Parts: sequence; C-alpha cells; structure tokens
Amino acid sequence: MQTPIATTRSATGIPTGRLAIWWVVASEIVIFGGLLLSYVMHRIGHPEWAIAQAHTHTFVGAFNTFVLLTASFTAVKGHEAAEKGDGKKAAKFLYLTMGGACLFILVKSLEWTSEILEGYTIQANGFWAFYYTAAGLHALHVIAGAIVIFFVARDAAKGRNLQRVEYVGIYWHFVDIIWIFLFPLLYIAK
Amino acid sequence: MAQASAATVHAHEHGSHEHKELHGVLKYLWSTDHKVIAMQYLFTGMFMAMVGGFLAYVFRMQLAFPGKSVPLFGYVSPGRYNALITAHGSIMIFWVAMPVLIAAFGNFLIPLMIGADDMVFPRLNRLSYQVFLLSVIVILSSLFVKGGGFGGAWTAYPPLSANAKYNLTPLGSSMWLMAVALEFVAFLLGGINFITTLMNARAPGMKAYDIPMLPWMVVLASIMFMLSVGPLIAGAIMLFFDQNLGTGFYDPARGGDPILWQHLFWFFGHPEVYVVLLPAVGIVLEVIATFARKKLFGYKTLLYTAAATAVLSFFVWAHHQFIAGIDPRMANIFTVTTLIISIPIAEMCFVIIATLYGGNIRLSTPMLWALAFMGEFLIGGVTGIFLGASGADIYLHETYFVLAHFHYTFFPIAIIGTFAGFTYWFPKMFGKMLNDTLGKIHFWGTIIPFNFIFIPLFILGLEGQQRRIYDFQNFPELQHLQPIRILATISLVVMLLFQFVFFFNVIRTWIKGPKAPKNPWHSNTLEWTVESPPPHGNWPPDQMPKVYRGPYEYNHPDREDDYWPQNIPPEREPTPSPAR
Amino acid sequence: MSEQDRDTHQHHPDYWKIYVALVILLAISVVGTFSGILWITFIMAFGVALVKATLVAENFMHLKWEKVIAKWVLGIALILMVLFFAGVSPDIMKDRGLQWVNNADLAATARGIPDEEEPEKGAPASAPDSTKAAAATQTAAAAPAAAPFSPETTFKTVCAACHGPEGEGNGPGAAALNPKPANFTDPAFWTDKTDSVLEKAIRQGGASVGKSSAMPAWGSILTEAQAKQMVAYLHTLKGK
Repeated sequence: MQTPIATTRSATGIPTGRLAIWWVVASEIVIFGGLLLSYVMHRIGHPEWAIAQAHTHTFVGAFNTFVLLTASFTAVKGHEAAEKGDGKKAAKFLYLTMGGACLFILVKSLEWTSEILEGYTIQANGFWAFYYTAAGLHALHVIAGAIVIFFVARDAAKGRNLQRVEYVGIYWHFVDIIWIFLFPLLYIAK
Repeated sequence: MAQASAATVHAHEHGSHEHKELHGVLKYLWSTDHKVIAMQYLFTGMFMAMVGGFLAYVFRMQLAFPGKSVPLFGYVSPGRYNALITAHGSIMIFWVAMPVLIAAFGNFLIPLMIGADDMVFPRLNRLSYQVFLLSVIVILSSLFVKGGGFGGAWTAYPPLSANAKYNLTPLGSSMWLMAVALEFVAFLLGGINFITTLMNARAPGMKAYDIPMLPWMVVLASIMFMLSVGPLIAGAIMLFFDQNLGTGFYDPARGGDPILWQHLFWFFGHPEVYVVLLPAVGIVLEVIATFARKKLFGYKTLLYTAAATAVLSFFVWAHHQFIAGIDPRMANIFTVTTLIISIPIAEMCFVIIATLYGGNIRLSTPMLWALAFMGEFLIGGVTGIFLGASGADIYLHETYFVLAHFHYTFFPIAIIGTFAGFTYWFPKMFGKMLNDTLGKIHFWGTIIPFNFIFIPLFILGLEGQQRRIYDFQNFPELQHLQPIRILATISLVVMLLFQFVFFFNVIRTWIKGPKAPKNPWHSNTLEWTVESPPPHGNWPPDQMPKVYRGPYEYNHPDREDDYWPQNIPPEREPTPSPAR
Repeated sequence: MSEQDRDTHQHHPDYWKIYVALVILLAISVVGTFSGILWITFIMAFGVALVKATLVAENFMHLKWEKVIAKWVLGIALILMVLFFAGVSPDIMKDRGLQWVNNADLAATARGIPDEEEPEKGAPASAPDSTKAAAATQTAAAAPAAAPFSPETTFKTVCAACHGPEGEGNGPGAAALNPKPANFTDPAFWTDKTDSVLEKAIRQGGASVGKSSAMPAWGSILTEAQAKQMVAYLHTLKGK
C-alpha cells in the first residue's frame, strides 16, 4: 500500500509517526497510572500488606531493572545509528534490545515460578494480586515491544523505514520508565 | 507556513497518491479508505441501534403489561429483564453513540473537511474497525450464552459484577467485560488516528482557527476518551481477574474496595458523556451555520467553551456516587464542579442562539433536527442541576428521574444529533438527495413521541419509582402510576414505528432518488468541493485543496453569493500572500 | 532535509554517560533498603526513580529537544493522574471511613443531646469535682476532651444506643439492625474473642474483624489505651 498524502504532511512540525507515538505513550500513562495509583492507595490503606511484600526478591527486581536500562541504552544507540543512515548497525542494537526483553521475561518467569511454588499466588492476598497484575501488564508490554522491535529491526537491516527505529525506541523507553516506578513500588517500599 | 512544513517530511516516506482501491466484497472487508470504514461504522452502529431499540421495546412492554408475553419476544423473566436493560444501556452508549458519532462521522468527515486524501494511518483505521466488529460479535453472542447475558447494568458495579455467585451469569459478565475492553481498544486506535490526522494532515493554509467545528469536536472528544479510559482499562483487568482468577480487588472481605471500581468507572464514565456530546454539538454547529446562512457567532468562544467543557468534565465524576458512601467533603467539591460545568454548556447554547438571531433560516430536515437537539438537550441539562446538587441527589438518585434526565441528554446526542448529521451529509455520502417531506414526517414522528416517553418518566421518578425494577405490581404505593407507564410504553412503540419512515426514505432514495450535486446546501467547508459521493483519494492528487479563509463565511458583504467556500482564492488579490 | 529535522534529530548526547548514571542510581536505590530507616528508603527509592525517569525521558526519548506540544500531551496525562489520585484517595486510602468521621458530631453524640439551657452541666456526672469546674468554663464541644476518660460513661453514652445500657445488645438502635449488636453479658460471646480483636473492632469498626459493618469505627475519638480500657470495662459486664 502506498502512503497517502495525508501521512506525509506535518503541520505541527513533528513527523506523524512520532506524534502518534506520543499519544500512545499518553494513553499508556493513564492506563498504568490508574493501576499503580490504585495500588498505592490500597497499599497505604493496608499497612499489613508489608508482611506479604517482604517476600519479594529485591535483587531479582534490581537485576531486571538493570536489564531494562541496558536494553533502553542499546535502543537509543540504535536510534543514533539509524539517524546516521546505518541501518545494519541500528538493527544490531535493536536485536540487543530484543535480547534484553527476552532476558527480562526469562528472569521474571523464574521469579514468578518460585513465588507461586512458595504459595504466593495471585489469590493469596491483596498485595500479591496487585503484584501479579501490575507486573504482568508491564510484562505484556515488554513482550509486545520485543515483537515490534523484531519487525522494525528486520526492516532496518535492509535500510527500510529507518525512522521507525526512533518511534519504537520511544515506546521502549516508556516501558522502561514504567518499570523504573514499578521496581520501588513492588520491591523496595516494604 | 503550513505549506512549507507539508513539504518537510521524511523523504523516504514520500509515496505517490495512487494507493490501491479495492473492489467488490473485498472492498468492504479489507479497505483502508476512510469513507468505506466510515460506512462500516455507520451501518454497524445503525444495526446496533435497532438491536438496542428492540431491547428497549421488550422491557418497556414488560413494565407496562407485566407478566404478559411480549410480541416478537415472549415472556420476560427477572434475570432476562436485567440482561435486557444492561445490554440496552451498554449497546446504546458503546456500540451506537460512539461508533456513529465519533467513528463514522469522524472517519468520513475529518479527512474531507481538512482537505486530506485519507487518514494518516489507513491500516490502523482498518484495524480499529475490525477490533470494533469483534467487540460487536462478542457483546451480541454474550446475550445467548449459558446463564444468559450480563445483568449488572452498564455500570457493572462490583460485588454484583465481580462474582458469578451473585450475578449468576458466569460467562455473560466476562464476555460483557471483554466486549467493552475490545471496544475501548478500537476507539483508542481510532482516536490516535483522528488526533494525529487533525494535528498534522491539514490542507495547506488551514490554520488552527480555520478548521471547521466538527473535526475540532471529534478530536477533542477523542483526546478526552483517550485520557479518561486508561484507569478503567486497568479497572477492567482487575474486575476480570476478580471474575475469573479469584482475586479480591473489589472484595472488602479480602482487603479490596468496591468503591474503587465506581471511581475508576466514573473517572471514565463522566467524560464519556462529553465524548459523545461534543461530536453531536459539532454536527449541530455545522448544520446551523449552513442553514442560518450566517457566520458562526464566536468561533473562538465556542472552541474555548468546548475545551473548558473537556477539562471540567474530568473534575465532576464523583457526582454519580453521592449516595455510594464517598467522603462527604468530596461530595461538596464535586457538587460545585458539577454546577460549574453548566456554564460552558450554557455558553454554547447562547452562541447557537446568537448565530440563529437575524439569520436567513431555512427549515430543512437537518436544520429541524439541529434545532430539536438544542431544545431537548436543554431539558436534559437543566434537570441535571437537580442531580448535580448532592442534597437533592440523595432523594432523586436511582429513581426514574435520573433515567429520564440522562435520556434527555443521550437521546438528543445519539439519535437527534446523528439524524441531523445523517440527513445533512447524506447527499455527500451516497450521492442522492433524501426526500424532504418524508424526512419531516420522520422528524415529527420521532420528536413528539420522544417527549411523551420521558416526561412521564420524570413524573414517575419524582413519585419515588426506583430504577431497575422488574415488576412494579409488588409495590402497592406505586400501583396508581400504571397508566403513566403504559403511556410511556405506547409512545415508545409509536416512535419505533416511525423509524420505518426513515428506512423507507433511505431505501427509496437509494433506488430512485435525484442525484445530488457537489454542494447542495451551498456550504463552505471543503467536503462540499469533492464529487458526491467522493472518489477514492477524495481529490485528484494534483488538485488537493488549499485553504484561504475560515469555514463559516456566509453572507459576506463583498460577495454576490451568500457563501464563500474555503478553497476559493480571494478574487481581488491576484497574488496570494506568501504566508499562505 | 529541513531545519526542523535537524533541530530534533542531531542531538545525541553521550549516551554512555547517561547509562552509567542510571546504573549508579539503581545501585543507590537498592542500597537504600539496607539502611532500615523508612524515610531514607522511601526517598532513595522514589526520589531516585523520579531522577531516573527524567533522565530516560529527556535524553533517551529525546523529550529535551522535542516540540513543546509533545510535552503538553504527556503533561496533561500526568496531571490527570494527580487529579485521579486526589479525587479517589480519600475513599480508597482509608476505606473504613476513619478520615471523614465528623468529630464535633461524635463528641455531641457522646455527650448526649447538649442541654443548652444549662451549659455548666455539660461535663459528665462522674467527673471529679476539680475538673468539673474547669469543664464548665469551656464550650460544650470541648468539654468531653477536657474531662478524664471514663469507660463506663463512654459506654453509656456511645455504645448503649445499640448495645444497651447493660450491654445486653438491646439498645434502642438494635431494632433496626441485622445482625443484632453483640450481647456482652452472654458467655457465648466471650468464647472466641481475644482482647486485641475487640480493640480492633472498636477502633476500626466491625468490618475490620469480619463482623457487621454497622459497628462504626471509633478510632477518631478513642485512643488505643482508651480502647483497652473499654475492653476491660466490657469484661466487667460479663455475667452481670
């Protein structure tokens, strides 16, 4: 399909794709905002949840934060390479980001397995319900990001649609920022 | 300036205008053309309106003649009654008002009115409709699954909605929730498309204040939708887990809180009212400016009041919860904000009246609908003041007064507004002229019974009749009101029967109606400069319109014609100023 | 390409530097948990999270060089979340309703109907003489605060409306209630209640211990020590 003329216009000065990504991010802010703030309100109202929260693994969470920060870093390096027109290099960085996403999911699933085996299922208590829901929704975004990044990287390696490297990067950094807040909420503020 | 920036796009993004046009069945399944998608939304929405209207007929018959078999349906059991009212409410708001007002009119008119050849993301647009269609299938099939359709009202308050133990519809309630969530996803995708299209893809020369009102209103509505729906999506996930995974987010015995759902729901639910109101106002404004043959009084005032409404609508949600046990101090605050929001709405009404004043009014069918919108919505708005004041609301809440109030807002929005737009743009959409006499018969046959349905319901509400009750025979003190209930039901049946006039008119026009010219109403906006119906790509690629003035230049003193389309270059200026 | 593309695109700060800063900040937030002091943990966790998020948004997402309208888009979403929290938290954060108990009204209830003709009799009868005089000089609303705490008086004025003057669960308010208020004279009542459960029920309401939510939360007018005294008084009703 050819691009319509409409897509090539830019009355705001922001390329259409990037403008749309900002709106995606805004709509995600309110989705995660609603969930996390609901958690915060409940958490303040239930000091006894601290007992449940003490069972989360701070270091696993910290390691996953590190993984996501690194993946964000490679994504932005990919953006830099794409801007210079080096699609191959951009693709390489994006594949690294995708690897980070996979590592994150792997660590997460191991962590959840051990917690569920210890008996902390989603039904165990209000804290665990929020824990699995919030982290699960975030993990879904990580998976979706990994899939999109794969297709963008494949295109970028052939030198096509290089502007998308930046757009997918913005989304990915946003997923990273969500985790930056989830990490202290779920793991540190006990 | 806009021209300059239109050229400054990524070189690799440049495509020629000739994108593929599909034919036959494939066209309606897989097209990315904004006009085809608009038609898909329009007809799906109209089909759902018929479903919703039928449901209303069934439960109104039960209320008027309790325990009798309803023609075309059969006996109504209490559980089925609940499913009927729930489906009626959800369908009319999520599957009629939103797809028709925002998606159908938005899709059809935004690119045409801003002089673009399509939406900026045509494939996203197609995906939006496909997800929407999926949600339609899910909500309709949820009515037929084992256990019956969900019966917890469109607000779906837990604990009733959260546990099959209470609602007895283990499948129906989850499917209802999934259908609503899919519908949200569809409108998020569509909304991003509308917003970016209006922000970026305007015709060269069209500045912010040259945009006609309808695109503004649809986009404002999309922004409001997008920013308010997030918490409810999170809440829907939590409710889904409560239903299916056994969590206790809304179960106070397990540390949850059912009030949280009410907050999440109404944080979306109240802006949602304005999400559907604004596009309807946009339609009415276009129609009124055209048929009053007058420049819109206070274009900027209107825009600012619409923006103020949008902002304020986020500050009023808890007025739905005055008797839910919320913090009384918050009730004070929300009473004040609720009463404040009537100011911008009233200002809009005054702008419309001022536009009509001294105009050369032509009472065509669309104009009648637009004027009726004003009158009927006013009743809805004024009765809202009683409910917005927390003191009065304690007595009126959950009575038929509330029901009549919001039908006096939603009916003008979803039905009157839609008919105003449909009759106004029908020549453009289908290339044929509707019959005006039949249109007027349909108009009066809808408006008069409408008032006879809902004014009696105000009376019932003040008498203390509660909503969501299956059979009032069990309430001796409400027995004497039965004639009023029967009056309302008969009016509803009359109104529904008059809709056949409309269908007859449309089908008759389709078969042998006169062909519509390019600009039958002598209107100014850009959609009237293309063929009727518009071809794929709207304008020939080398003749994309340029804009030289605002959209409402009617009866300009320097002009012989009483209208001045946006794309006509100024005659007395041989060289357009470089700024254009 | 145009000016504007150069504007937004050619800014590539030293990403390594930012990355290293982010990792160091992450380490700080983890170390904060070992301090064991709550507020240090919180500042380290959420303060650092804010700094990290800003760094990522400004540099990685290039928000620093983006057109102002994009910042508006995100800013409005964030402001709405503040609004959401402000509107919802009064209900959800303290869902027992403790924060919106009207203290003045409760005090008035505890005094019984204030006899306005004889304000000097506002103080409870059991109060010692020395405080009686002091209480009489104060306004009616402040009087109970000045009077020393007496579990019996409190029971007679606050609890008896439902639980009955002798604690038999037969007060005037009991008729409308289902389940019925607890009967403290009934030995069966005492078989499965510990003192701490009763204290919680008094201070946080019946719902907090899985009993009827018609039992209000009195935490705003009774301190923990006073609740303990109340429970001790309840024990004296047993078997009366």
